[in-house]
Amino acid sequence: MATLTSKPKLQALPYRPPAVLRNLTNWVFMVPALFFFLGYMVYPILRVLFISFTNYKYLSTEPAQWVGLQNYVDALQDPVMYAGLWRATQFTLMFLPGTIIIPLLLAVLVDRVQHRGLATFYRIIILIPAVIPGPMIFVLWKWLYNFQIGPINYILVEVLHLFTPQTAPQWLGGTPLTLPAVAIFEVWWGLGYHTMFFLAGLAAIPKELYEAARIDGANEWKLLLHVTIPRLRPVLAVLVVLRFGSAMAVIDEFLIFGGFNRASPTYTWTVYMYDLAFKIGEWLQGYAAAIGWIGAMAMMVVVAGLLYVFRPQD
Amino acid sequence: MTVSHAHLRRRRQIATLAKHLVINFFVLIILLPLAWVFLLSIKSIPDAYTGALWPEQFDFTHYAYVLEKIETLPRNLWNSVYVTLATVFITSLCAVLGGYALVHLELPGRRLVLFGLIASLYFPVRVVSLISIFEIQRTLGLINTTSGLILPYVTLNLAISILIMRSIFEQIPRELIDAARIDGCGPWRTLVSVTLPLITNGLVVVLIVNFVTAWGEYLLAATLTNDQIVRTLPVVLASAHGGMGQWAWPRIAAVYVIVIAPGILVFALAQKFFFQGLLEGALKA
Amino acid sequence: MSRREEEYLIQEALLNRLRRGQMDRRQFMTRMLAAGLGLSGVSAAIAGCMPAPAPAAPQAGSAASSQGAASSGERPLTPTFYQWIVDLHPSIPEVNQRFENLNFQIAPVEGFGIERFVAEAKNQESTWDVYVGMTPFVEMTALIEAGVIEPWDEYIPKEVVDDLIPSIREECTVDGKLYSWPFLLDIIGMGWNSELTDQAGITSIPTTWDEYLAASQQIVDSGAALYGCTFDAHGWRSLAPFTHSLSTDVYTEEGLFDFTSEPAIEALKLMKEMMALSHPDILLEGATDGGVNGTPDEVAFAARKVAYYTKYFNAPLRMAANWPDPSKLKMAGLPKFAGGEGATVFWTTGACLFKYGKNKEKAAEYVRALTYDEQIWRDSIAGSATAHPGQLPPYASLYAKWDANPPDWMPPFVGLIRDQLPIARAIPNHLFGLTQFQIGKPHWETYLTGEEPDPMVAMQAAKDAVLAELEKARS
Repeated sequence: MATLTSKPKLQALPYRPPAVLRNLTNWVFMVPALFFFLGYMVYPILRVLFISFTNYKYLSTEPAQWVGLQNYVDALQDPVMYAGLWRATQFTLMFLPGTIIIPLLLAVLVDRVQHRGLATFYRIIILIPAVIPGPMIFVLWKWLYNFQIGPINYILVEVLHLFTPQTAPQWLGGTPLTLPAVAIFEVWWGLGYHTMFFLAGLAAIPKELYEAARIDGANEWKLLLHVTIPRLRPVLAVLVVLRFGSAMAVIDEFLIFGGFNRASPTYTWTVYMYDLAFKIGEWLQGYAAAIGWIGAMAMMVVVAGLLYVFRPQD
Repeated sequence: MTVSHAHLRRRRQIATLAKHLVINFFVLIILLPLAWVFLLSIKSIPDAYTGALWPEQFDFTHYAYVLEKIETLPRNLWNSVYVTLATVFITSLCAVLGGYALVHLELPGRRLVLFGLIASLYFPVRVVSLISIFEIQRTLGLINTTSGLILPYVTLNLAISILIMRSIFEQIPRELIDAARIDGCGPWRTLVSVTLPLITNGLVVVLIVNFVTAWGEYLLAATLTNDQIVRTLPVVLASAHGGMGQWAWPRIAAVYVIVIAPGILVFALAQKFFFQGLLEGALKA
Repeated sequence: MSRREEEYLIQEALLNRLRRGQMDRRQFMTRMLAAGLGLSGVSAAIAGCMPAPAPAAPQAGSAASSQGAASSGERPLTPTFYQWIVDLHPSIPEVNQRFENLNFQIAPVEGFGIERFVAEAKNQESTWDVYVGMTPFVEMTALIEAGVIEPWDEYIPKEVVDDLIPSIREECTVDGKLYSWPFLLDIIGMGWNSELTDQAGITSIPTTWDEYLAASQQIVDSGAALYGCTFDAHGWRSLAPFTHSLSTDVYTEEGLFDFTSEPAIEALKLMKEMMALSHPDILLEGATDGGVNGTPDEVAFAARKVAYYTKYFNAPLRMAANWPDPSKLKMAGLPKFAGGEGATVFWTTGACLFKYGKNKEKAAEYVRALTYDEQIWRDSIAGSATAHPGQLPPYASLYAKWDANPPDWMPPFVGLIRDQLPIARAIPNHLFGLTQFQIGKPHWETYLTGEEPDPMVAMQAAKDAVLAELEKARS
């Protein structure tokens, strides 16, 4: 800690090994991460890539054959795959803005709560959904959205009389409302820890910046737009790109809320892939792997664009 | 002058009020569904199936019922805690070391690693690689072991965590690192004594992200384990929710409350500590 | 939890694996050390394994009579169960107690089912000896094709085979070999809430679909309940059984459901008529198990919003358990079309024998004990403190015994179902046995939702979709 306060002194530099050696020892820092990364991510993905060039059928006892690009050719002519990609995109468009903007605004507000006890209280409450396991979130919202006896429809029908039992909204289970309904509770679920993200970012912004801007006559909105958000850029970048990725690849919830009904808006490319790989016929994992890779590559294009938008501007 | 002063003050008060109103609106949105679940867990079974918000008859026996009927419940809870803590610890360690190396150390092939990490984020690794991961676990003899889950779990958020830490490390001025180097600190000393105190808030985020994922992981746990006794709680509960036999809504709700209460309590307590660290970190920066 | 306890748990797990022969001593030592347990673990291992396990003998492929017992020394009989069977049948542990040294396990269930069995078979090995939870039309063909299971014929006693009700034996047989040893019988029938029918002044039990619709209309008109009747929209629970009630001759030579057959069209029209008397969310996917369970019909019946219900009997029983008075539930056979065959759909859940498992003779002994157990059937039919499965045995002799000497706990619906069994038909075994209904559903539902006015067009689309998928699988 002394280095933080003491001024650097000119002194004889200690011996430093040649650059190449030095760099190699730096890799020691990456070893733990790389062990897991290579073993449990890179290798499995590459193996799946390999599978996508074969006619591998999991249940077949015959050995798989190399079929080159055949799976990709078939997949690119498969309307179900395109429908799946489009559905995932729709979901992402519903989910992404809400899960970025709401926590951002909430974080800015919570960050300004002066009363320490109250500030802690808010933070704890907002974080509660983040400590509930995923499957429990699904159970909860399945109850809430239940068409016949869920509290949401109960309030809409019995309390507010906005609907009758016949016309009440059908939320989950493959209706057009399913994707927005899932997006809403996903935002609810992520509200707390996305807010935490932003709070951590906000805490790193020097308060003097605000003082200076205020003295210059900037109002709160201008502060938000010109001081806060630019400073939150790294956090925003991580969040937007991350959530884009997770939203495009959602599967657990869609399996639960739409099943394998191909007419359901939740039958996205991930569900299609899963369906092919683990449900249909002899489990066409070669073809499923190709669908997976096409979906992944399509996402990568968008991600590259997002990363360009959020590129560091220095 | 005095008039506009009072006017300004009044405006500020309104703004403060509005701020609290908005925050409290979200607080309600979060609390109401949970309050509803709690209420559900003490409704009589027929009441739970009427949809009415307030029950005609309360029934407080559901908690005792589930604790007696699901013998493995405490063990499943422990499995979840154990797997989650181990995962969070290992991932955070990897993330701090990796994030530091990526930003502040000369690393040949750094770009390749970075590209790999980012690319992995957008690939639906969890689903696509499932069969391959199953193969690996089989080879290692880790199928159907609770501890075995930790290995694939670490990767669930590994890339994210490293990238978060990288973002945080990037906010540490290079001059500080250079100063440390000039002072004769090696990369390890620099990491531990110079940067570590400055990355607490980032570490908090990494801890939370990993906690959430490991605590709630479902697909891998369901695939790689099969005895109820070695499974984590969410998997047991999700299969219990298949709606069979004894799993009436109020009983699931009781388990629900039992499951989420410790997490919330621990979090509420740890929260104070985390934010203190966060504030201090911010003051020093 | 202290580190010592954690160590103990890991140690125990490793020891178990060593004892079961799932790893050898060297692996064990390495892993103990790797787990950071050091010498304490090693000493525990030595203490725990004083009687050194015999070297693993290669498994004898054929069913040598006395060899079976000898080879079981390697590992205990290891059955694995589908979770819900254990949940629903609380006396299974009692049967287990009769088998010394039984390594009882619960199978993976969430969505994946057979994937792990197949993975092991590819390595020519199996952690388990027998799996109790296979439903023939759902997964049996896949398990056979993947080389996971082998027929029971060499191990099942002849008198047991002869005791199987013929339609059930047919369901479990492929190419003349019995691949499933049936255990639990699910059959699609009718259940109703007598509190609501009494309120509506209905006194007779509907036996035809016309009567069923009329009674449902009366429920709605009298205001006894919001809805008259409901069904589960998944094809094997509604479309197929309704079709069977007119004719069971609705399968192609290959064994696929003939969506465009006359009886299937009639069944679809019937479903549309029912929907007019039902809750509007009837076609939605369910809330669990990939949309297949926790369906809207279950909620409506549990919430006492609907009077009549057609599904496998476990469903109304399970839902009625949430009523203030569960005894208001009444059950009977499925109604039929006037002049129809009056059949229904049933499926069994049975045990399959892993090709690369061990203890095959012991497995047969175990399944036999399980399937003939009196207490299991009593719990299943009359209900127990924790569950009411509503599932029946597959053996003729058990029904004969009950006929001759009716137990006091026997409800009347059992006889009704027994009468239907000879004419009822299971969905044929086919790789697409279940999948065809999943793929076809969105297409036939265009008629139910009114999108497509012609039922024939909707059904043709369903048929085409299934064939297209089949084509893809073959290429």
